[in-house]
Amino acid sequence: MESAIKIEGLTKEYLNKTTGQMVRAVDDLHLEVYRGEIFGFLGPNGAGKTTTIKMLLGLIFPTKGDAWIFGKPIGDVSIKRQIAYLPESPYFYEYLTGRQVLDFYARLFGVPAGERKKKVDTLLDMVGLSRDGDKTLRNYSKGMLQRIGIAQALINDPELLFLDEPTSGLDPMARIEIRDLIIRLKQQGKTVFLSSHQLLEVELICDRVSILNRGKLLKAGKLDELLPSGRVEIVAENVSDDGVIAKIRDAGGVVQRQDGRIVVQQPDDASVNRVVDIIRSASGTIRSLTPQRRTLEELFVSTIEEVEKR
Amino acid sequence: MTAVMAIAYNTVREALSRRVVLLFLFGALVLIILSPLFSFLSPREELTLLKSLGLGVIQLASMFICIVMGISLIPAEIERRTIYTVLSKPVQRYEFVLGKFLGGILTMLFNILFMGIVFFAVVAWRATPKQALDLWKGFMMIFFQMSILVSLAIFFSVFLTPFVNFFMSLGVYIVGTLSSVTESLMKGENRTAIQKGIGAVLHYLLPQFGNFNVQNKIIHPETRIINEGVYYIQNIGYAILYIAVLLIIAVIIFDRREV
Ligand SMILES: Nc1ncnc2c1ncn2[C@@H]1O[C@H](COP(=O)(O)OP(=O)(O)OP(=O)(O)O)[C@@H](O)[C@H]1O
Ligand SMILES: [Mg+2]
Repeated sequence: MESAIKIEGLTKEYLNKTTGQMVRAVDDLHLEVYRGEIFGFLGPNGAGKTTTIKMLLGLIFPTKGDAWIFGKPIGDVSIKRQIAYLPESPYFYEYLTGRQVLDFYARLFGVPAGERKKKVDTLLDMVGLSRDGDKTLRNYSKGMLQRIGIAQALINDPELLFLDEPTSGLDPMARIEIRDLIIRLKQQGKTVFLSSHQLLEVELICDRVSILNRGKLLKAGKLDELLPSGRVEIVAENVSDDGVIAKIRDAGGVVQRQDGRIVVQQPDDASVNRVVDIIRSASGTIRSLTPQRRTLEELFVSTIEEVEKR
Repeated sequence: MTAVMAIAYNTVREALSRRVVLLFLFGALVLIILSPLFSFLSPREELTLLKSLGLGVIQLASMFICIVMGISLIPAEIERRTIYTVLSKPVQRYEFVLGKFLGGILTMLFNILFMGIVFFAVVAWRATPKQALDLWKGFMMIFFQMSILVSLAIFFSVFLTPFVNFFMSLGVYIVGTLSSVTESLMKGENRTAIQKGIGAVLHYLLPQFGNFNVQNKIIHPETRIINEGVYYIQNIGYAILYIAVLLIIAVIIFDRREV
């Protein structure tokens, strides 16, 4: 698979001014992000996510290590035509209106005057700000500023987007819109590097995720691999007969009785059909059959706790 | 180049909406309009006094606007983090610095022109329009002087805090205005070698702002400079060279700076 981002041994040390010691915000990070995927970049506060993104964009410089974007070393300004950055809680020139600020960013890309107005209108429309385009940003709410941030990230129709907590401060509707937008971008073949604390969202849209803690990479991989499925939960009614339950247990199920129902946990897919057959032949009613997967949240918490305990 | 111009334009827009800039501009305008009240001597002396008063006010107000604006041109972008979204676009760091500088001198041009036109009208009213005509040379030299000062403040701003920068820029401006003093320190008799050395360093290293003060030449037309054209061209050339060197060093430092 073609790589969009390749990171080799990236390390960033900051000087802690109060203690006078060097602190490793990012510690020997190795990572590869493939073209066309949505990559979730996770980690608790202070893990080093923003620091990594800022290094990739050439805003700060690595203490050690190298990284490439579309095969070009970071710091090469020509890659910036193809990428976009939405900073966390972005700030803009507050004396400009939404329309003016987008026009300014379009100029930075050299969009000719004739196309700029149309482009700005389309972008404002896309992020739901067409009615507020002529207000100055000083009078924007947090979520509206976040939307401007998203609009400015889309100006150049980028191939790769760095989104640092894109849904923070957004209302539920906007959150869903952004999620859909990210999925649309993927369908267009774009690559999205997404730092987020919204694990449900990440689980819904990301192809691969990584978990960073205190600058160190703890896990990285496909969601399907990190969150193995297999356990299936079956809920059934009208089966209280002890003999039937014994049969289910023989088939490997863990059975619990709950006011007239039984809840069966099957450890793997293979035995599910057998248990279903047992229940149906005993004239039981299947209420639901749900594949149980570990949630990303569970994985996140257990991964972090594991290293923090030591 | 469109990126540089966009940054410059945005810089002008911001500077001209800053309260402290407008305050100095407004204060200067009031003084300029009232300046005839302060010159109550004989008609010939009145014109002399009026011109030196007006040019002095314009220069002083320009200097304060220039320093207050110049010290924060780049640091404000870093502090407000607006620089993240600019430098993550295809904008080279030197283009950013250049855009900020151009925005700074365009702001000064606007301010000086605004004060200049008002002052021109005052002089034309008190004397004759013809007698006011030579003022434009004074305005031009103030503009070039301020251009050096903008580049100086930008230069300091890439490694000093705005607070320290304020005093550094102001200090260099004052010492640079006294080029005759540094020159005498350098050349004067019964000076130690160290004194002469310091004098020479100050004289050649610091921008010679003093050379741009043409008040005397305009105010006293009888003290004609031998070749006026050469005088102006030399000083403008000096300004351009000095600015170029300062900006190049500023870019070299800023290129390595984390934002
Ligand atoms: N300019 C700086 N100077 C010193 N230390 C810094 C600087 N910027 C970040 N750090 C430190 O680097 C570490 C990583 O910070 P970073 O902002 O990358 O975390 P993050 O993963 O983005 O966290 P969050 O989820 O809260 O946004 C933190 O310990 C932070 O204190
Ligand atoms: Mg962060």
